[in-house]
Amino acid sequence: MTDDVMRFFAAWMLTHEAADEGLKAAVLRGESGGPEGMGGGPDAFVDGLAAMVAEEKERLKRALEARARGEEPAAERDSDPALEEIRFEVAELRGRLDSIESLLETLVRKIG
Amino acid sequence: MASRGSTVLRVLAKHLLAEVPAARFGLAPGRVRRAAWARGTRRAFEELGPAFVKLGQLISVRPDEFSDELVAEMRSMQDSVPPIPASAIRAVIAAEFAAEPEELFATFEDTPLASASIAQVHRATLSESYRPVWGEVLPPGADVVVKVVRPGAAESIRADIAVARRLAARLAGTGLARRFDPVALLDESAVTVERELDLRQEGRFADRFRFDFRDDPRVVVPRIVWPRSTARMLTMEYMRGWRLTELEAARAEGVDCRGLAVHGATAFMRQVFVHGRYHADLHPANLFVTPDDTIAYLDFGIVGHLTPEERMNITQVMAALVYRDADRALTYSAKLGVHVPPDRIEAVRRGLGKLLDGTTRRDGTRDFALFGLGFLKLLGRHGVRIPSGYGLLIKSLATVEGVARALYPEIDIVATAQPFTTRILGQAMGDPARLRERMPAAVRAALRELVA
Ligand SMILES: Nc1ncnc2c1ncn2[C@@H]1O[C@H](COP(=O)(O)OP(=O)(O)O)[C@@H](O)[C@H]1O
Repeated sequence: MTDDVMRFFAAWMLTHEAADEGLKAAVLRGESGGPEGMGGGPDAFVDGLAAMVAEEKERLKRALEARARGEEPAAERDSDPALEEIRFEVAELRGRLDSIESLLETLVRKIG
Repeated sequence: MASRGSTVLRVLAKHLLAEVPAARFGLAPGRVRRAAWARGTRRAFEELGPAFVKLGQLISVRPDEFSDELVAEMRSMQDSVPPIPASAIRAVIAAEFAAEPEELFATFEDTPLASASIAQVHRATLSESYRPVWGEVLPPGADVVVKVVRPGAAESIRADIAVARRLAARLAGTGLARRFDPVALLDESAVTVERELDLRQEGRFADRFRFDFRDDPRVVVPRIVWPRSTARMLTMEYMRGWRLTELEAARAEGVDCRGLAVHGATAFMRQVFVHGRYHADLHPANLFVTPDDTIAYLDFGIVGHLTPEERMNITQVMAALVYRDADRALTYSAKLGVHVPPDRIEAVRRGLGKLLDGTTRRDGTRDFALFGLGFLKLLGRHGVRIPSGYGLLIKSLATVEGVARALYPEIDIVATAQPFTTRILGQAMGDPARLRERMPAAVRAALRELVA
């Protein structure tokens, strides 16, 4: 049993290490030359993606550290996109009504 | 109407005959001869007016169907015509509002600001304040422009398209135009022209763009004054700035042209990949750089629309370009309606691979226009039909590149697409539907790797 546990952790460390090396290399390739630095083909996309995920990881790290220091993260803007969209659609309708209203006034002028 | 048909033929004949000496009576080498006929055709189209100008614009985005020379000529076509007298414009305003411009505005200038084949633009000032669909209130006295459709433009364009359509049908019958369908091309131009003739449509697009870019202080769009707008007349905020043909002046005033080029290219990528709506009529006269370092978009006459599915497939094609992956480009182009016959796939893939690797400029940046047009021609050579939306997008990207390079010659437009495409495709990986679809294969691959 102890053997199994040891083997399990050893295997975990090994795969983790391998994955880490591969990933680090991909991140480096992705960061280095931009599109030209990469070889091209499907692997290049993985490199580019890895570099972007690594950036995201750094951001996450900074946010967690800031929180540990007790700092509030920069106040998220509380504008809900769905709400904004509805607000826009209402405003757009108002625009249409403005245009129709002046059409009506024109008709009144023409008749009167 | 029959007389207009013969006018069209006469104007075409006049300009083509004028080129006969240049073509050395048909004996000049192919390229010279084609250039001469192309020039003649372009001049005839300019003389024949709006419907033909539109037709020329459509030809300019079909290098798969027409010769290089014709495509290049049509791209340089001018859409500026002598102005019509203010009295004619006043007559249109009177018909639309039953009022004189002076009753509708605080001031109205009779001298036009610009005059194109469909509309003429005059400056004015507001007599009362107006709260636009999105953004700050426009105060009384605010500077505006009034864009008015030329009297009779709609009727004459519709009549011209009908005439051209009849000529095209006859042309199709002669077998002169084997590969493409001139009638379909004309029907396409009829649709774009109809849309441009209702200025309210353009106003709505402008409002939408303003909203889409509400969080970007460097992209500005004129506010529309709806109580002074109808189908034939659009009133909007006056934008101060320099056209891209007046960049020297802008630079002298300290405008950050380089920063604006990168920002503008990024803004276009955002339109395509995030909003699925893009300004498809970008040319140097439709874009201003302003004294406060912003980009002002004008004239939303042609807007490209993408469904979420098209947007995703285009993102994939763009990623293929960014990461030089010919297979990915072909797979997702097929989903956008670019069907390469099975026996041609290998040849097209090889050609595409060469294009992906071979369209780099000497400074290491990539030349999208060269790639895009090369790709369309490659498909044309292999007899592949290109859906019109696909051609429009490629042309728009090539134009954005041209515009951005005018501001900043070393810009790499493909590189500006990289963060968008990578992020969007990365995010799409987490889509539950996709995970359900792809996970089993991924697990199988992992297991296969483990048992190997
Ligand atoms: N809001 C505006 N502010 C300043 N100038 C404008 C504005 N709208 C149009 N113009 C001027 O008028 C010209 C033609 O306008 P545009 O909308 O492009 O008309 P068209 O669709 O007929 O080409 C533009 O190139 C620009 O110089």
